[in-house]
Amino acid sequence: MFSTLLEQVVNGIVTGSVYAIVAVGMTMIFGVLRAINFAHGEYYMLGTFGAWFATDYLGLSYEASIVVGVLSTVVVAYVVGQLVMRRMVGAPAESGVLATLGVALILQNTVIFVFGGGYKFFSGGYIEPVSILGFTLAEQRIIILVVCLLVFVGLELMVTYSRLGMAMRAVSQNVECCGVVGIDVPQVVLRTFVLGAALAALSGVLTAPVNVSVYGGMGELITFKTLPIIIMGGLGNVRGTFVAAMILGIAESLVATYIGLQYRDTVGFATLILMLMWRPHGLFSTQARF
Amino acid sequence: MNAHLPILEIKNLSKSYGAVKAVNDVSMHINRGEIAGLIGPNGSGKSTFFDCSTGLARPDTGKVVLDGQDITGWSLNRIAREGRMLRSFQKTVTFKALDVEENLIIAGQMFTFPTLASTFGLGKLSRSRIAALRERARELIKMAGLWDVRHQPAGNLSGGQQKLIQFASMLMPEPKLILLDEPMAGINPKIIERVVDTIQYANKSLGVSFLVIEHNIDVVTSICQRVVVLDQGAKLVEGLPHDIIQDQRVREAYLGG
Amino acid sequence: MSLTDTAPQARRRDLRIPLAAILVVAALAAPFIGTRYVTHSLIIALIFMLPAHGLNLLVGYTGLLSLAQAAFFGIGAYTAGLLAVHYDTPFYVNLLAAGLVSGLLALPLGIPALRLRATSFVMCTLGFVIIGQAIAKNWISVTRGDMGLSGIPKPYFELGPLSFTVTGTTSFYYLALAVAALGTLAAWAIVRSPAGRNMVAIRENETLAESLGVPTWRYKLIVFMISAAFAGVGGSLYAHYLTVVSPLTFQMYYSTTMLIIVLGGGAGMISGTVFGSLLFVGLTEALRVAPEVRMIAYGFCLLVLVFWFKKGFAPLINRFWNAIGGSK
Ligand SMILES: Nc1ncnc2c1ncn2[C@@H]1O[C@H](COP(=O)(O)OP(=O)(O)OP(=O)(O)O)[C@@H](O)[C@H]1O
Ligand SMILES: [Mg+2]
Repeated sequence: MFSTLLEQVVNGIVTGSVYAIVAVGMTMIFGVLRAINFAHGEYYMLGTFGAWFATDYLGLSYEASIVVGVLSTVVVAYVVGQLVMRRMVGAPAESGVLATLGVALILQNTVIFVFGGGYKFFSGGYIEPVSILGFTLAEQRIIILVVCLLVFVGLELMVTYSRLGMAMRAVSQNVECCGVVGIDVPQVVLRTFVLGAALAALSGVLTAPVNVSVYGGMGELITFKTLPIIIMGGLGNVRGTFVAAMILGIAESLVATYIGLQYRDTVGFATLILMLMWRPHGLFSTQARF
Repeated sequence: MNAHLPILEIKNLSKSYGAVKAVNDVSMHINRGEIAGLIGPNGSGKSTFFDCSTGLARPDTGKVVLDGQDITGWSLNRIAREGRMLRSFQKTVTFKALDVEENLIIAGQMFTFPTLASTFGLGKLSRSRIAALRERARELIKMAGLWDVRHQPAGNLSGGQQKLIQFASMLMPEPKLILLDEPMAGINPKIIERVVDTIQYANKSLGVSFLVIEHNIDVVTSICQRVVVLDQGAKLVEGLPHDIIQDQRVREAYLGG
Repeated sequence: MSLTDTAPQARRRDLRIPLAAILVVAALAAPFIGTRYVTHSLIIALIFMLPAHGLNLLVGYTGLLSLAQAAFFGIGAYTAGLLAVHYDTPFYVNLLAAGLVSGLLALPLGIPALRLRATSFVMCTLGFVIIGQAIAKNWISVTRGDMGLSGIPKPYFELGPLSFTVTGTTSFYYLALAVAALGTLAAWAIVRSPAGRNMVAIRENETLAESLGVPTWRYKLIVFMISAAFAGVGGSLYAHYLTVVSPLTFQMYYSTTMLIIVLGGGAGMISGTVFGSLLFVGLTEALRVAPEVRMIAYGFCLLVLVFWFKKGFAPLINRFWNAIGGSK
């Protein structure tokens, strides 16, 4: 009884890590652009598809497929960033919703058009179970946990010390002033966006061996999972996003086990609405960005 | 209502933002038919005092009595609608996308349509009320010297003209009392004259009482019958304009910032 | 102008009334002009016009960006479907009930949601759709879960001694046209009333509106309820037209379609929403040949809309309308 609970919590933390890596990109994009990216999950899907293509068609190893998945997503994100995201600086909220939805429709349906809408089988990765501290966990899940920690530590460092990080903070604090002090806002938006997309792709590639199935519509589900997370985490707040992702991961895992699997995908929005009623401004400050 | 009672009476009003005591235990009143002034250095809490008196912000402590009625805790819209006390904002605000006439009609609507349900009417009664509002709006537009631009979006007009729109809007609902937050700031001398004229017209002919925040001392001495000085959130002195500008404490407050 | 006022100079004719007449005739004759499939597409467009009008009141006039419309559409569809299946009630009863139930449910949902600002509000309204779908899927004793409600009867009327059932596509078209026309009229009446002016004031500057005595909170709540009622009525038509309702009625795609209709047609303009419904739903429904290609094209349309037609088609409609208005 207690051990299942603990096992579910650990599973939840792994799921939370997956969400966290996707959501942190989305929240950073919100920070600099003030727009919700409804296409964000599609980059997760693209990464997975890239890796699946590399292993299945090109016969590459899983490690190489990670590179292929992330790089191909970066290329797509760069094009989308140049053509769409850059131009959204200062646009009203409605435009952001419509434009990113448009991008989501294009990406998702292009992939379905090219590869077909059916489920594909992802065969790479490290799925051997190992035992640590009495838990049995697939190796891949440990990799996900470790990568998630590395990503967040890396982001903290980047945001604090790198030029891009400082520019991101500046843009998220006050867009108007950035033009005056010579920060190229569209450029910062573009880079943040490509970085966020790359992280989403990485998350997708890392999760693929665990999820096994790959399909064109998978990005949409991830978008719906990350939306409540970034709101709960306090839009633009990296640490808050991490905590919110963990909470949601664990909550989903517990709900799936103790209440019913069919309720799992509703947990995010249900939690979000309850939280918003309790604290309309989020759990974490949206002021303390990055 | 008792004619000798002050139109507005504020008792022991306090408001803090975090550690900043923006308004600290301020009491004051405005007599019926009076034009009173509220002055003080930047950041002395004048606008916050307005916000707390008109329901935009909730005071921490204190009591606001309008025309004998305790309105503490009423919302901004209720104070405007039921109390007929209107206020302007320091940063000029108009409905920028709407034309001047529409701006004024909106300001008048809530007083001609007593209930929310009645605003959904499209019948004869509703139309005649709107026609009357339009009539009144046009009169005020003429008085404010905005006749030629009455069909232009307010956002296209100059800052001074927008201040006039804002002011004319507040006269639409036949108010009892108007609180003006720096009505002359950033407008040219010609329009200053026009605003002064309009304030005096509204005061004499329409019987509106005023409380005016103003940094332009000439304007304050020429229109105000009584002046209250705030400094660092607290009331420093109160008196006749000429006495106030001579007052040593007031000079120190302004200079010592 | 008096009758004797015959100006000597050449005047351009006012073509607006003839055009309106042509449009009315076209709307009435449509099922006989186009194929059955065109009629079907027009029916879907007319059905979506109702929630879109509601959304236009909310987004276009009051300035509240909401994605909840599909939730109220679904609630309306289930209400009408359940009534029709279990109680065999006439169409207009189902329609009114659907509008009423959606509108009333919007009250408890709107009270917490409208306290939120901007993005949080958008996400909360999206949450209603997602949770609505979960309820429709899992409240099996009532909704029959994923199977959905099937066998919803075609609309039937009982007016005194007269009773009839709307069976064919053509007759359903006229029913949908009548309901959509009434809905358009209702939306028009709302925005032309003093309340419509207050809604615009809230959209333009909420604090200023508040300071001029507009009870903004109550208006937002009422408009939220009205918009939900519109969606509910649309949902009842949808249920009766398809004769099945499934949990997929609650999907974000519907909410965004309605948003695209409103913004693409031209927010804050009744004719924009009418036009938008025909264009974005009618047209895409008619092009439902290769779903993926269609969705890709749809995605590109959205980008074109956002970057090149920021105000939708409203300015074009306005200019056209004024141009044919003749000289004054
Ligand atoms: N919403 C707020 N949040 C935090 N602090 C506030 C807020 N509003 C006002 N303050 C603080 O309260 C103090 C008084 O501000 P207020 O705007 O009332 O001054 P003022 O007398 O109107 O100044 P000015 O002449 O510049 O308009 C200031 O220190 C200001 O920083
Ligand atoms: Mg001030």
